[in-house]
Amino acid sequence: MLKKIAFFLLLALLTGILSGCWSRKEISEIAIVLGTGVDLTEDGRIRLTVQIARPTAFVGGGEAGAVGTEAPASWVVSAEGRTVEEAERYLAMKVPRELYWGHNVILVIGEEMAKKGTRMVTNFFQRERQPRENAWLMVTKGEAKDFLETYSDLAKTSAQAAGFLTRMKTCYAVQLREFAEMLASKGVQPTATRVEAKKAGITPGPGQEKVFTAHKQVELTGAAVFKEDKLIGWLDAYQTRGLLWLKGEAMKGAVIVPSPAEPDKNVSIRILRGSTKVVPEYDGENLRFNVIIKVEGNMVDQQSREDLARPEKIKALKEAVAEAIRQRTAVALEKAQGEYGVDIFGFGEAFHRKYKKAWRELKDRWDEEFTRAEVNVTVDVRIREIGLLTRRASTEEK
Amino acid sequence: MRWLIRTLSKRLFRGRKNQSRDARAANQTGDGNLFRAPRKNQVLSPDLETNLKAIKAIFDKCSDVIYREFVFAQNEQIRLALIYIDGLADKGQVSEQIMRALALEVPMVVPGQEITKARALEFIKQRGLCMHQVKETDKLQDVIHAILSGDTVLLVDGHTCAIINGARGWEARSITDPVAEPTVRGPRESFVETLRTNTALIRRRIKSPGLKIETLRLGEVTNTDVAIAYVEGIVNDKLVEEVKSRLERIKVDAVLETGYIEELIEDNPWSPFPTVNHTEKPDRVAAMLLEGRVAILVDGTPFVLTVPTLFVEYLQASEDYYERFLFASAVRLIRFVSMILSLTLPSLYIAAISFHHELFPTPLLLSIAAQREAVPFPVFIEVLIMELSFEILREAGVRLPRPIGQAVSIVGALVIGEASVRAGLIAAATVIVVALTGIASFTFFYSFSIAFRLLRFTLMVLSAALGLLGLISGLAVITIHLCSLRSFGVPYLSPMIPTTGVDLKDVVLRSPWWGMFTRPRLIARQDQKRQEQGLKPTPPKNPRP
Repeated sequence: MLKKIAFFLLLALLTGILSGCWSRKEISEIAIVLGTGVDLTEDGRIRLTVQIARPTAFVGGGEAGAVGTEAPASWVVSAEGRTVEEAERYLAMKVPRELYWGHNVILVIGEEMAKKGTRMVTNFFQRERQPRENAWLMVTKGEAKDFLETYSDLAKTSAQAAGFLTRMKTCYAVQLREFAEMLASKGVQPTATRVEAKKAGITPGPGQEKVFTAHKQVELTGAAVFKEDKLIGWLDAYQTRGLLWLKGEAMKGAVIVPSPAEPDKNVSIRILRGSTKVVPEYDGENLRFNVIIKVEGNMVDQQSREDLARPEKIKALKEAVAEAIRQRTAVALEKAQGEYGVDIFGFGEAFHRKYKKAWRELKDRWDEEFTRAEVNVTVDVRIREIGLLTRRASTEEK
Repeated sequence: MRWLIRTLSKRLFRGRKNQSRDARAANQTGDGNLFRAPRKNQVLSPDLETNLKAIKAIFDKCSDVIYREFVFAQNEQIRLALIYIDGLADKGQVSEQIMRALALEVPMVVPGQEITKARALEFIKQRGLCMHQVKETDKLQDVIHAILSGDTVLLVDGHTCAIINGARGWEARSITDPVAEPTVRGPRESFVETLRTNTALIRRRIKSPGLKIETLRLGEVTNTDVAIAYVEGIVNDKLVEEVKSRLERIKVDAVLETGYIEELIEDNPWSPFPTVNHTEKPDRVAAMLLEGRVAILVDGTPFVLTVPTLFVEYLQASEDYYERFLFASAVRLIRFVSMILSLTLPSLYIAAISFHHELFPTPLLLSIAAQREAVPFPVFIEVLIMELSFEILREAGVRLPRPIGQAVSIVGALVIGEASVRAGLIAAATVIVVALTGIASFTFFYSFSIAFRLLRFTLMVLSAALGLLGLISGLAVITIHLCSLRSFGVPYLSPMIPTTGVDLKDVVLRSPWWGMFTRPRLIARQDQKRQEQGLKPTPPKNPRP
């Protein structure tokens, strides 16, 4: 009995000592990568840029004396190589700690790199063990390096700022995994978040009245359209709304419509929730998609003086909202079908689900079929509340 | 290595085993030089002088033994002797109810000359002694034991019989609040060091002839009185037999505390988990007895053992049953959570910081990274330092004389907590983790939390070496061990493993009293029914009668 116990004790002890702790990495030994950017250099090499958190800047609590001398929260460093991995190895020669990708919030691809093809980039981040597939994928106009070199006034780092912006889904947002899924599917062409570094707002301070400095900060500006893994064009913020409606994603935001009786004044409807259903119809010849969008919203703002609480006014309002949404989808459809000729909405997947046999024939020339397809958008609007005011105070009694 | 183990084991265990065997053998033959023990079954002689001589020889150099010789009813023919120990006998009773009654008051009623020597014993017993408890014996051994227990022995010349008067009375601590198990609601009494008082405390709570209290004597030198209490009809008879047989096995020289017995009767002496519970609250013991358990009381200690013991017992405070069930269940839930925290929190922290950084949300990781930037130690060493200093502080808090308590808490809180963080030696997060772990381990029974403390360090080493893998394998080993444990035949983890559906009513949640129909299935095998069903109160149909 005792022999056994002693043996196992010894064994346990030896396992602890001999095996060592080979994968042990203390937090103070790692460089936490918060944002990654990939660019294509002029000579065709890949430039990897990482935004690394500087832990000393994240000290919390009321440490006195630190006010005004805020340390920069990140360190942006880049290296070049033929592949992402090679660039990463060169990067490791500059960064005195082990690069740690587990908390990489965003993956930014530069415009040129995106045009060359994103597979060269995303493959590494999907294959590697550490990076998460839920990192936000975005494409920036210009260079990713420039984008990462900005800083934010609210978030500690620009990578986190971009991450928070995307997560709120105020604009089109896509994660690395979703992007890879779109890339793998023949029924949809990938789209990614479009971001830019733009001057936005100022940080005033005492004694700075005349030297207001506005620096570049991250901003979501729409979506990037891909054919396979190559960037072919952009959608601006308005067209992106149409993309979102047709994809049935991120039902957020507001729709501004003219007031029923006074068309020069506007009424704002904030979207509460909505859903999108795509019903394909195919008779072997003609391809048609019926898109049914259901929207619920609250009225939050009224410029006109009329009494909108009346049923007939609400009905008019509903139609106006439906029309506004139809317009947005039309713009996005026009871009996708006309200008770029790619199915970025995933209609192909809806078709695949319904017509499995026909899909086999069509899938290899799906984008051409898509451009020829007829799309009917039906919008069903419900207005839930008209807010705390039923009538404008200045409205005369009628 | 075999050689090493063999010698080690020989040194550690076999040697001691032989020793104790020798000692036992010496005692049995009766020529041990511990004291001059009377021969077994030695009978008293009719001659008072011979008896006194024999007793005096036994109590040689015992200055606290008092011999008082006097005559019965002023009759010079009938000589008496009182023997008792100063300090253990109630002097008032001895002088008033025994001496005064026999020497002075009897002749006032019956002239002393009428009583013959032959009838003296009869007379003393029937008419002379004013004592409430009187026993007779003719064995020298019984006389010796009676004297040692604090009784007063009356020897009568010409009779081979001694009268044992239960006139015990010594300085004892009075009943106070339970120190180790304080409560907000519920009885405030706790056991004391006197066995009789303790049995009375239980008897006062269970007024039923079913409550049986059997006594036996343990300890070759100390001759400590030990009582086994159980409720007949509820308790499993085999359990009582098992307890008795385990107690009878014990051959030690002393039993100074229930801890001596606990270690000698427990099921798995190597386990860090206690399989014999102890408490100092009579209400808790009463509740245990009513669930079919057996209590073991030892003279000289306020702690009472109860068996069989289940894992969940240590998470059940007696207050749970006095507070309303919703609150009690919530509090018990907290106790379960803190039990898990006290076992795993430091190891989780170590594993997450040295291996699994992806477990943290990004802002938390950055915040911890910032704190750890200046810390010169790996996190394992850091946590180990803090855990050890916490243990040192805790131990000091228990040992130190009361007036110094404040000084220690200042040093503990300020120097170790505040200063080490300010100096950048320890991360603030580590202090929080260690403090939370420490506090969490005090939410349940102290003796149980000791097991968790020991295991916590083991798990810390494991998770420092292998990360979560180590932590999980450690927890798996602990779980397997717990599953294999038994306490007096009852699985330690029951009613969870093996699952007894009805008994889950009193594990994590405490069901209301009107829902407690049955006693624990695996313990009270005889009488399962605790109370009638349908006791749930309902408001009257007609609210205003």
